[in-house]
Amino acid sequence: MLSRFIVYFCYHIKSSQHYKKIKYYFWNLLENENSKSKSYFDLLMIGLIFLSIFLQFYYAGHEFSFLGNIIESVILIIFIVEYILRLWVYSDTHEIILAQYEKSLYLKIQFNIRKAFKLALAKKITYVLSPYAIIDILAILPSYRPLRILRIFLIFRLFKLFRYSNSIKLYAEVLASKRFELLTLLMFTGFFLLIASVSMYIFEYPEAGSDIHNLFEAFYWAIVTLASVGYGDITPHTLSGRIVAMILIFTSVGILAFFTSILISAFNEKMPELRENKISTDLERYHKFIIICGFGRVGQEIAKQLSKDKQNFIVIDKDLNNINIARKLKYLAIHNDASRNDVLLNAGINRGATAILCITGDDVVNVYITLTGRHLNKDIHIISRANRHENQNKLYQAGADNVILPFEVAGLLAAEFMGQPVAFEAISGILQEQSDIVMETVPVTEKSPLDNLQIGLLDLQQRKLSLLGVISANPIHLKHKNKYRVKQQHFYFNPEPNFILRHGDILVILGRKYGISHFRNQMEQQRLRTKVAT
Amino acid sequence: MKEIAVFGYNRLSFEAISRIDTDAHQIRVFDHNPAQVDLACDNGFSASTLDFRNDEDLKTIGIGSSVNTLLCCFEDDSENVFLTLSARALDKELQIIAIIDSPDAAEKLIAAGANKIIDPYQICGRKIHDMLKRPEINDLFDHTVFGRNDLHIAEVVVSETSFLRDIFVSQLELNTHYNLILIGIINKQISDQMHFVAEEDDRRLNSGDILVILGPSREIRAFKKDMNDELCKI
Repeated sequence: MLSRFIVYFCYHIKSSQHYKKIKYYFWNLLENENSKSKSYFDLLMIGLIFLSIFLQFYYAGHEFSFLGNIIESVILIIFIVEYILRLWVYSDTHEIILAQYEKSLYLKIQFNIRKAFKLALAKKITYVLSPYAIIDILAILPSYRPLRILRIFLIFRLFKLFRYSNSIKLYAEVLASKRFELLTLLMFTGFFLLIASVSMYIFEYPEAGSDIHNLFEAFYWAIVTLASVGYGDITPHTLSGRIVAMILIFTSVGILAFFTSILISAFNEKMPELRENKISTDLERYHKFIIICGFGRVGQEIAKQLSKDKQNFIVIDKDLNNINIARKLKYLAIHNDASRNDVLLNAGINRGATAILCITGDDVVNVYITLTGRHLNKDIHIISRANRHENQNKLYQAGADNVILPFEVAGLLAAEFMGQPVAFEAISGILQEQSDIVMETVPVTEKSPLDNLQIGLLDLQQRKLSLLGVISANPIHLKHKNKYRVKQQHFYFNPEPNFILRHGDILVILGRKYGISHFRNQMEQQRLRTKVAT
Repeated sequence: MKEIAVFGYNRLSFEAISRIDTDAHQIRVFDHNPAQVDLACDNGFSASTLDFRNDEDLKTIGIGSSVNTLLCCFEDDSENVFLTLSARALDKELQIIAIIDSPDAAEKLIAAGANKIIDPYQICGRKIHDMLKRPEINDLFDHTVFGRNDLHIAEVVVSETSFLRDIFVSQLELNTHYNLILIGIINKQISDQMHFVAEEDDRRLNSGDILVILGPSREIRAFKKDMNDELCKI
């Protein structure tokens, strides 16, 4: 009867969205490395730890004041609640029970609730025995009065920092990654210390006036000498003792150098991973960004323009020199091969990237990156660079939305400049926004004052703006002349005064930047006003 | 007819000269590499081998006399700098356009006397940035002004004798009379700054003003023809 009730209760929890939501919330807060709330929570906990340690020092040897007691109690309660929540989030007891129940149903054997509970409990105990959980409990226990003797363990609160600070975690990971080397060094050092301290004891102890009175003192001397600290409180007096000291000093230099080199190499190995972690956390913060594959001359120019516009982007390049240039400029950069699926996935192709630019100097690489990008994300905007004319179609086939040929574009501009130097400079100044006058688009939205308005009635002249034309896909305009096909739409150049604008059309306007944005804002405001009025 | 000398035959110069209006320009290609010259001839251009290091050779092809525009398209920046220097020494008025490979070469070419520097990588980078930032405008210009459609930019100089002298910009009304849009007016003798017509419709046109217009080639031709017709009045 009880087991049936428990199983029913477990199913109820499993189907409860509310329960899932709450658990997910706490998981996000406590364990999800990528969540923002966790980073705030970690900061809060670091602050609390320092506050509690400060209190311990401030009241060292005295009773806590009233306020001190309150703060200590609040901190303690937070620690306890955190411990319980972590224990709860660690595993799903109801899932374990249900798995056992369903297994017994399938095998047609009797469901043993005790066994299921044991399994669930074992899972929780695994957590309780994990190093972090032990540190947590040791940070809480000494505050319990009967265990006041364990006050020394309050220092474990400092160890709790491991949980919240990535850099401390990293240090521990670096040490762990060199376990084998460190263990070998430790064994060698231990062995050497043993020989040194025993021989010191043998040589020095029998001498009259010797500093060494027992084996521990010999061991203490050996460690102080090995660490190149050398307090000088214990010194060898015999010739043999001094020879041992000399050997120990020379060897200790080697041991320390070896230890340092192990640490340095471990940090070096960890560096790329560290950088990548940093990049992926930075990317998490961006909602929209662009992936630039290839940081040669073209990539550098784009990055310069994008950073001028305060747009987010990430650079991927195989060439370390290019990556170093990007890093120097403080751009997010990954040193890797952009044609690999995992690299593009890590760069966030499915997590907020709006466009990929495949602009390396090698067409083969560009085709491959384009193909990979299109395979991973069907909707992303891909712009690729073709260095040879014959590769343009291959890039379109691979899935590029736009293909650009640097030499063709430059050749075209050179030709335009040769033909009409003054006009060309003026137009390119406008297009590249180098002059005060810019060319921008103003969309005609539904219910906007522009919708169903005759061009002749537009008061652009008074606003000191010029209308170049209208871009539209609406077939109703096809009767007008001066139309030019632009992809799936038409551009109606210099439209007649009787041209009636429809929603979905785009006005191409020339004027000062603030003049155009003022016009755009006014239209939008009027549209919203009419919407509210209706 | 303008005479253009193109030095260095490669992908870029090929693209440039194949887009120049051959009715209004006479183009000659020169290269010190005979293989490139043969290639240019195969593609239907008038090409010959020439050593650009020799000033006498440059004079014989018309630099300092008949050539109006020089396009320095060598792949090596130092060669372009040398050619620019030699040509500028021969002709102070020559319009020199030079291509660069390394961005550092831009300053050197300007110092050597080039009028316009073309950096293909920078242009490509800006173009891609434009594609991302303003796709509609970018597509529009790619398909019209820079594409195969008949919509062009043009510059028209107001001469001493032109009927346009002393008339107000507001009186021009090129969009109704010619199906042209007047973008701006530049007077090179005063400054390089373009005057935007929508802001200065009370401005009177002077001789030396250059009108920057946009429109179909037929309309541009008609306007240019009328400009020279003293009897025509707007």
